[in-house]
Amino acid sequence: MGERNELLPGTLYMLVLRTLAAGPMHGYAIVKRVKECSREGIEIEDGSLYPALNRMLVKGWIHAEWGTSENNRRARFYSLTPEGRRQLDQETAEFDRMVRAIQLVMRNA
Amino acid sequence: MLTELYHRISYLLGRRRFEDDLDDEVRFHLETRAEELAAKGMPASKARAQARREFGSTARMQEETRGAWQFHWAEDLIADLRYAVRGIRRNPGFAVTAITCLALGIGANTTIFSVASAALFSRPSVRDPQSLRAIRIGGMSHAPMEHYRFLRDAGVFNGLAGENEEMQANWRSGDTTVRLYTVQVTGNFFEVTGTPLAMGRGIQPDDRDTAVVSWRFWRQRLAADPDVLGRKLVLDGRPFTVIGVLPQRHRTLLGRGFAPELYVPVSSDSAMVSLYARIAPGMTQTVAISRLKAACAELDRLSPPRRGKRADNLRIGEVEGVGRLLGEPGILPVAAFFAMLMVVVTLVLLIACANVASLLLARASSRSQELAIRLSIGAGKGRVVRQLLAESLLLGLCGAAAGVALNLFLGSLLANVELPLPIPVRIETQPDWRLLAYAAAIAIGSSLVAGLAPAFQGARAGLAATLKRDERQVAGAAWSLRNLLVAGQLAVSIVLLAGGTIFLRNLSEASTANPGFDLDHTLWASARLVPEAYTAPEKLASFSDTALTAIRASAGVDNAALVRIVPMNDEVDIGAPVRTDSQPSPVTVTWYQNEVSPGYFRTLSISLVAGREFQPSDRNAAIVNENFARRLFGGANPIGRTFESEPTGSLVVVGVAKNSSYLSFSDRAALAVYIPYGQPKLPGQHPSELNFLVRAAGTPESIAASVRSALDRLDPTAAIQVRSMRSSLTFALLPSQAGALVLGSVGLLGLGLASVGLYGVLLYTVSRRIREIGLRVALGASPAEILKLVVRQSLGLVGAGLLAGTALSILAVRPLAMFLIPNVSPTDPLNFVAVGAVLCVVALLATVAPAIRALRVDPLTALRHE
Repeated sequence: MGERNELLPGTLYMLVLRTLAAGPMHGYAIVKRVKECSREGIEIEDGSLYPALNRMLVKGWIHAEWGTSENNRRARFYSLTPEGRRQLDQETAEFDRMVRAIQLVMRNA
Repeated sequence: MLTELYHRISYLLGRRRFEDDLDDEVRFHLETRAEELAAKGMPASKARAQARREFGSTARMQEETRGAWQFHWAEDLIADLRYAVRGIRRNPGFAVTAITCLALGIGANTTIFSVASAALFSRPSVRDPQSLRAIRIGGMSHAPMEHYRFLRDAGVFNGLAGENEEMQANWRSGDTTVRLYTVQVTGNFFEVTGTPLAMGRGIQPDDRDTAVVSWRFWRQRLAADPDVLGRKLVLDGRPFTVIGVLPQRHRTLLGRGFAPELYVPVSSDSAMVSLYARIAPGMTQTVAISRLKAACAELDRLSPPRRGKRADNLRIGEVEGVGRLLGEPGILPVAAFFAMLMVVVTLVLLIACANVASLLLARASSRSQELAIRLSIGAGKGRVVRQLLAESLLLGLCGAAAGVALNLFLGSLLANVELPLPIPVRIETQPDWRLLAYAAAIAIGSSLVAGLAPAFQGARAGLAATLKRDERQVAGAAWSLRNLLVAGQLAVSIVLLAGGTIFLRNLSEASTANPGFDLDHTLWASARLVPEAYTAPEKLASFSDTALTAIRASAGVDNAALVRIVPMNDEVDIGAPVRTDSQPSPVTVTWYQNEVSPGYFRTLSISLVAGREFQPSDRNAAIVNENFARRLFGGANPIGRTFESEPTGSLVVVGVAKNSSYLSFSDRAALAVYIPYGQPKLPGQHPSELNFLVRAAGTPESIAASVRSALDRLDPTAAIQVRSMRSSLTFALLPSQAGALVLGSVGLLGLGLASVGLYGVLLYTVSRRIREIGLRVALGASPAEILKLVVRQSLGLVGAGLLAGTALSILAVRPLAMFLIPNVSPTDPLNFVAVGAVLCVVALLATVAPAIRALRVDPLTALRHE
């Protein structure tokens, strides 16, 4: 985990929510999926994933349920709640706006 | 927000499972990662280590995850409390004063709460009180044994038991016979109610002459005999075997602190019992009522009632809690009395809170520098307020803990008080969840009341100090708030004292009041005869004649008489339409009725304004009091006239007695009728109970022993009690005594707390103004002028408190009139003058120390002081 994998602050929730939008997933799968999708550009620290998941559980954005994983073990699957979906939309819009604004500054300043 | 709260709370409830889940989840993560690494060809042990390394510290992760769920304010609160503990430790004098004030206030408050809760919500000592019900049929509180047996066998309930509460037995112990209060119960009573025992067993069906004794009786009368089971007690001349001892905390089904000494089996078929039933689980009230109705209809068929139908007036009531309270007749005045007491002790608590608030205000302004530093290094104002509140919360909790300890102590004192009531009643309070919840609530409540204003004041003072660096400039606001608090305290304590004074005056008036009969030479001897030995009326009559003769013959006895109702201790009143020979249209009046033997009026020195005393030959004769004569016969001479009513029949007036007191000192307008002793029985009176009133030539105490032995010689199985008429007034005086005791002590407590408040605020002002005083002294002010500074403030506070308090109490004491005898007026100006004088004296005492402190100010040190 070098410096290149450092997450932009405030984006962890959004990334997790976006990942879960594809369907229920357990914690390990979330990490892998983010890593794959970003072509290894982003690596979520295992130690910060679970606290973040729990904070989202508290806020009611996601829901957790025990199930069986592909390797036949008991695993905790997380899925988006309607509220989580709303949060994802909001955060995505916010993020897009911010990225566009930063780009404008970078190009024109 | 709400969903968050809900999630957090469910986390708190399922904490253990949460931890297990998290462990499982981490294990799954590590194992899956290790498997993946192994699949790429890494050796298994190395893969596991690698997975673990990548994951990082699980402990920190778990800590953070848990943190996501927890309430942050709870942790902040703990930090604040820890800080408050340190702050209070640094200033123990402040803490001790504040906690003592709160402990006194909360102790008084919770004690009244405990007594009220014991009196109103006593939970009987039975198994599963929720499914036990009190049953009344035909509107009667008690049912004959044969009806009890019918209903028991009708199978309506899971069990039906009966008890007859107010029974008595004569216990022959050594050379004396003592009257005991017993409860007669049916054989299945202990089984149906599930009453727990400390020792032995309960009464069982087919038990004869067995007894279960109370804890107190066992400890005090049987000397805590360890071999008490199997011991014989001679009751009403028969040996009873002790088979069990009730636990110390036994509470009866009757409740209200009723504390009988024995439980024995129902002795005869003519007994009446009140009914208690176990209802089946899930049986609703409607079903229970309809099945009981059916059973009552069947009972009506087998044994037709004298009037009405038994099913028409059924009641299935709860035996505990609010349900029981609502069904109980005559509960309103009792509840009102406790409500008044609660108001009074809440006022005391407010005074205590004001003291603590005042102390906190002083502390906050002297700490303004410290608070300023906290504010300037980035603490928010809210944070500082919370921190100051934590301190008062800590004080509140300590005060509540000490207050509950005080409550327990007062409770144990109260439990040993024998109330002068006709039946044994003990106030047994005990700590329970209600008390704890209440104490916690008032701890938090009083912390807020005492702490809110000082906390905001403190934060404001801190802010001001960051700007101005001079605390004195902001002290002004806190100062006036403190003055207001002290004036308020003084005002409230005046209200309390005024109430206490009124009850004290009532007590002294009542104790010296003339009830209309002689108290200095009269004695009351009561004899409870064994009922089974005197079933024949002639035997009873001959015993009472012999006894009366024996008493009259005793040395020092002037006269003696038999009376059914001993005045000021009990009463029978009758309300009915009355006709007289001159006035055929009836007048409905209510009067006290009593049966007296010849010699009654001479014995009690009640003079007869007309006519004569009864003679043994009198039949259908009556002596009436002046009020009755005036009401029924107007100004005409009533002697020889007749009157009649349904309960008395036709009676000829043979005498008119002066008005006197019958049940209470406020009876001066009451009507009264006396009829000859031993003729028609008065309702509800025990025929085996004889009351002799005896007139002594000297003091009543001098003849007590000889009267007792005269009766004891005639029948050793009789339980005899002898006391002077004066001491028998305790029952009539109980309300004024209780009122004077509670309001008086609470008033003094309030005054004490308020004077501490006054003292504190004066001393504080002096210490704040030391520099100013020093300057004045340096500029040549005389000691008298310095003294004036302190006294002026004290006078201002006392004056304001006095005015407000007197105005308030003139309004507040008016309702007390219902507890007072007629010649005591609640708004007598003398009361207020007395209370004001007491307050001024106490205020003067509280001013002395601060004044001395001000006089001792040395200008040099004072000016160098800062």
